[in-house]
Amino acid sequence: MANRLQDANQAPSNPADESFLNLVCIPFLLRSQNPDGGWGYHPQSPSCVEPTSWSLLALNSLPDVPQVRPALDRASDWLRTAQSPDGSWPSQPGLAEGSWVTASACLALQSQPDSDAAVSRGVRWLCRQRPSEGRIWWRFLHWVQRSSAVVRHNLSLPGWSWTPGTSSWVEPTAISLILVRGCSKDAGPAMARRCRQATALLYDRMCPGGGWNSGNPFVYGVPGEPQPAPTAWALLALQDHSQRAENQESLRWLANIYPRISGPGSLALTRICLRTCGSALPAGPEFHALHARNEFFGDVSVYAWVALSLGSLQPWLSWSAFDARQP
Amino acid sequence: MIRDANPLIHPFARPLSRVAIRRTKSYQSDLASIIYETLREFALPVQDKCVLLKPNLVALDEHAAINTHPAVIAAARESFLRLGARAVLVGDGPALDRDSEAIVESMRLREFLGPLQRIFVDLNVDAVQATALRTRASALRQLYLPATVLGADFVVSMPRLKTHHWAGVTLSMKNMFGVVPGSCYGWPKNILHWAGITRALLDINSTIRPDFAIVDGIVGMEGNGPLQGTPKACGVLVFGDDPVAVDASSCRIMALSPERIEHLHRAGHLLGHLREDKIMQIGENIAAVRTPFAVIPAFEKLRLPSSTPPSGS
Repeated sequence: MANRLQDANQAPSNPADESFLNLVCIPFLLRSQNPDGGWGYHPQSPSCVEPTSWSLLALNSLPDVPQVRPALDRASDWLRTAQSPDGSWPSQPGLAEGSWVTASACLALQSQPDSDAAVSRGVRWLCRQRPSEGRIWWRFLHWVQRSSAVVRHNLSLPGWSWTPGTSSWVEPTAISLILVRGCSKDAGPAMARRCRQATALLYDRMCPGGGWNSGNPFVYGVPGEPQPAPTAWALLALQDHSQRAENQESLRWLANIYPRISGPGSLALTRICLRTCGSALPAGPEFHALHARNEFFGDVSVYAWVALSLGSLQPWLSWSAFDARQP
Repeated sequence: MIRDANPLIHPFARPLSRVAIRRTKSYQSDLASIIYETLREFALPVQDKCVLLKPNLVALDEHAAINTHPAVIAAARESFLRLGARAVLVGDGPALDRDSEAIVESMRLREFLGPLQRIFVDLNVDAVQATALRTRASALRQLYLPATVLGADFVVSMPRLKTHHWAGVTLSMKNMFGVVPGSCYGWPKNILHWAGITRALLDINSTIRPDFAIVDGIVGMEGNGPLQGTPKACGVLVFGDDPVAVDASSCRIMALSPERIEHLHRAGHLLGHLREDKIMQIGENIAAVRTPFAVIPAFEKLRLPSSTPPSGS
């Protein structure tokens, strides 16, 4: 699996972006790696799965930085060690239950050597997870309470939840779908069915007019406001339906909002999405200007997303790239 | 370090709670003086202490209609520093949008507070500590909570005066949902909804025990809050040393009955005073500032018996 995902496309040629990537993002990520190999949400905080996964993916996208290989190896070791016996990863060390970060850990490890078994166990755990709103008793309660007047979700469509025993939401569903969709061809009909259901759920949760928020397109009949980050994840997960009107509409919404995005995390994810989907990047905020305000509050995941958005196009996000590499 | 939270005291043994209502015409008023003078009346033990202000940051808010107004946050921070606090941090963990920096930038918090790196804490991605809950209203038993909250000497809940489409109102108790970290439970923190909003609220508030509350009611939100309601000018700031009492008075200002709001009704037995005769009202009296708020149809039952619905509700 490792070699399948190694080829990199061209990085953007904007000198300001290149300098921000090389002088700010990469040094930040390298120096904020903990001695145990993982990353915390901030420098010097305990290693957690999610920032470690995004940092690993970001550093893995850099072809020629000498310090990177040892950092990647230590990060992979930490991630594999952090996996629970049931195949999942907890969001925080010490938490007993697995969570949505299982998908990001698998995405990060699938490009690393000696990780196929860990990824397979993680994918199997994800495919066993069923959100709680799909349970018969819950749907019955929803019907009895006429909650459909409040929200208009199709509760029969299972996606993925943030934590076990809760409801499906857009971001964990999209990130899991990006992962398992890539594995579905050789994983049998059950996983393929799960992918179809998750795809249907994402379209069911789209906001009127395009775009996604966390997962509430309507509350009390009032349309929800879409947000850049969930929209970016959803569009990345739905790339193989790129001709659908919903995708086009949402991509337009994302491109329109791009110049007005004020958060670096949202800007980075939007940029990753637009580039991956082949859309031209509109003129928008510069990362160095955003960084000058609050230094991204030292948020490791944000630095990693920004690095990903400024580096090469990511093969693990691109359906066409993945399909081309299928045996 | 774990915060030495206020003890849980049986209602019969609890002293009167104090709630101050101050008329405040607009966000251009001299908020720093109003807040400082009011806090002085409470003689709060904040000398050399680390104070955490917990505003309600929900979403991008270019029109300053949703989140606690940055002018109120800045004035509160200045006031606690004048009262001798060693440090005054501002922290929240927005539930529906992971991009906290986008939220604070959209509401221009930096313009009011100055550089934010050493002041603002995104509680969603703060270091966490497993914390046993002090009550068992829900089945949660324990939550991972942010180190900044657990380490603060004095926690101030600073909501905006709003109606809420799930909980009836979102005030100082509901505001404490924001301390639960997204890095553990996601965006939104759906585990709390599955545990039951009301019960989870009791468990979080009994464990954190905010020391003080300041409600930004200069312009509140009525109807389909917390995001999609309508701004409602109310012209008040509400202060108090008992968040339950502050919320009860705030409800009465909105012409809603706190006894009919489930989480407040339950909290009145455990965490603070709900009854008017147990609340020492300072400053304006409630009737003088009462401003009926519209509610969604499901919450018409929350209205005070004597109140008439506002026009257009």
